[in-house]
Amino acid sequence: MNRIEQALAALKEKKEKAFITYITAGLPDYAKTKAIIQAQEQAGTDIIELGIPFSDPVADGPVIQAASYEAIQNGATLEKTFSLMEEIRREGVAVPIVFMMYYNSVLHYGLEAFVEKCSCAGVDGLIIPDLPFEEQDELLQALGKTDSTIFIQLVSPVSKDRVPKILERARGFVYCVSSMGVTGQSADFHREVISYLTSVKEQSKIPVMMGFGIRTAEDVRPMKEIIDGAIVGSHFIELLREQDFRPEAAAEYCRTFKQELNRL
Amino acid sequence: MNKKAYYGEFGGQYVAESLMNTLEELDAAFEDAIRDPKFMEQYHDYLRQYVGRETPLYYAKRLSEAYGTKIYLKREDLNHTGAHKINNVIGQILLAKRMGKTKVIAETGAGQHGVATATGAALFDMECTVYMGKEDIERQKLNVLRMEMLGASVVSVESGSNTLKDATNEAIRTWAKTAEDTFYVIGSAVGPYPYPKMVKEFQSVISREAKRQHMEIEGRNPDVVMACVGGGSNSIGMFAEFIGEPEVALIGVEAAGLGIETGKHASAMALGAPGVLHGMRSYLLQDENGNVQLAHSISAGLDYPGVGPEHAYLRDTGRASYVSVTDAEAMDALVELCRLEGIIPAIESAHALAYAKKKAKEMTMEQSMVLCLSGRGDKDVNTISDYLAGKGYLN
Repeated sequence: MNRIEQALAALKEKKEKAFITYITAGLPDYAKTKAIIQAQEQAGTDIIELGIPFSDPVADGPVIQAASYEAIQNGATLEKTFSLMEEIRREGVAVPIVFMMYYNSVLHYGLEAFVEKCSCAGVDGLIIPDLPFEEQDELLQALGKTDSTIFIQLVSPVSKDRVPKILERARGFVYCVSSMGVTGQSADFHREVISYLTSVKEQSKIPVMMGFGIRTAEDVRPMKEIIDGAIVGSHFIELLREQDFRPEAAAEYCRTFKQELNRL
Repeated sequence: MNKKAYYGEFGGQYVAESLMNTLEELDAAFEDAIRDPKFMEQYHDYLRQYVGRETPLYYAKRLSEAYGTKIYLKREDLNHTGAHKINNVIGQILLAKRMGKTKVIAETGAGQHGVATATGAALFDMECTVYMGKEDIERQKLNVLRMEMLGASVVSVESGSNTLKDATNEAIRTWAKTAEDTFYVIGSAVGPYPYPKMVKEFQSVISREAKRQHMEIEGRNPDVVMACVGGGSNSIGMFAEFIGEPEVALIGVEAAGLGIETGKHASAMALGAPGVLHGMRSYLLQDENGNVQLAHSISAGLDYPGVGPEHAYLRDTGRASYVSVTDAEAMDALVELCRLEGIIPAIESAHALAYAKKKAKEMTMEQSMVLCLSGRGDKDVNTISDYLAGKGYLN
């Protein structure tokens, strides 16, 4: 079984909601990224999205744009991020890790080589915001029947009649984007967010996670009966910056969020 | 995979899930509109009465004599607002109106597409926001003033390289947030399907006219058809009607900046590799880590790291060939046209002129070449005078 699916099955067993974070690889450097991943694992973060910095992150708001830009300036690359993955997996980090990246990075690396490398390096899933349903065939084919790396599907408040076909190929969890547009807009969810999440949840066989614009567990109280977990990206990056990327600060935030999320 | 979104292996719709229904809606509305005689009649009416079409196919006698073959200039520089960009804007804004949108957004590099969009928005009473890189705002001040006079707000984009590529990113982000009431007017033959098709449709008036005009004068098709290529809108419009005429050689001219070998250029076809940017798969300038590489050209309108997907396809199938000329070659040709014909061309168009000079060496006075003079050089006078004074230019 894939590591994400395994972790989510265990949470279901415990009737717990998942807490998922996003960090940019190589921000401010790989040593810090490694320490923050380790601290989060210990603090109980269920899944970590590791952002691969790209020069043109069209699905991201200002916070993650700036994070990507800075990471690239500091020398972050896909190859180095693979090395980090290999290193932490060797050292026993077992938390599921998903690459959040843009499709050009995959193509540039080469489809087959990329998929093989993900599998070897312990990358459990892929989130690619500029690869909608219609363009996924070649990558899904390359991922083949392998269980080690799965493709995470995104749905949006305006996906409507597209939802069933997307869910049909979804694995792991469904990433429900809470608002139109890009990452990191303050908790200003789409006006029909509840009916949208309810509809996706009703149709989905796998857990449903909500992301975009979440800062605290309290933000998701209105949808606590619907969703199976929350994803925090831009806010987490901002917090890490304020705290000078101290692993302890990351751990503290994650521990608190996770506890509050399950007490809602 | 949506096959109709592709030109061979190029094109597609590499956008966020939240834009997919928007694109489908747009595609349906576009296909419906171009089959509606009333819509097309309205479009052509505006091209006639407002834009000032048709534009002349001018036989440049002195230039022809100097270069050694018959050169016809398709005078898109004589259009209202000074370039071919307005052809496409009128089409897209009429479509936006038809779809019930009240706002338009656009990206702009040199500012020509921004000015055209601001013009169309004023004409059709729509709210208009133009995204422009901070760097481009500085080097194209005149066009910023024009856009503001026309009632548009110009947003300075300060991310990445602060140029056209980043302005396009920002326009896409805004569109993803506001697609319900906002129409994104893309100015080049780029972006997710159906944009490349739409831009070609609304720019193909260039070659429809030119083909007939050349036939009337010469009684046959031209031997060579040539245009400059940034994203590729004037060139795809110039090629459109000739693609099915195998005896006509199609040549796209990219910007070689300081020279291909220096790495400071904008020749996606010459040195790019297939990649994904701005919703499309096409040739793209990238660094060794797969990040998009900055393009470099004296011409803001050609300063783009990618190229429209149909051009990539025309290149790979061999139907069109793509070459590049340097800043210096383009500026020499620009001055030559000023002095020989009394026409100040846009620096973009001067790239095509520069290659015409080279190509003409293989041709005779019996043969003929049609060249798209895509815009006038008024917007470039500062850049040109700085360049001639040896001060270099801002890039």
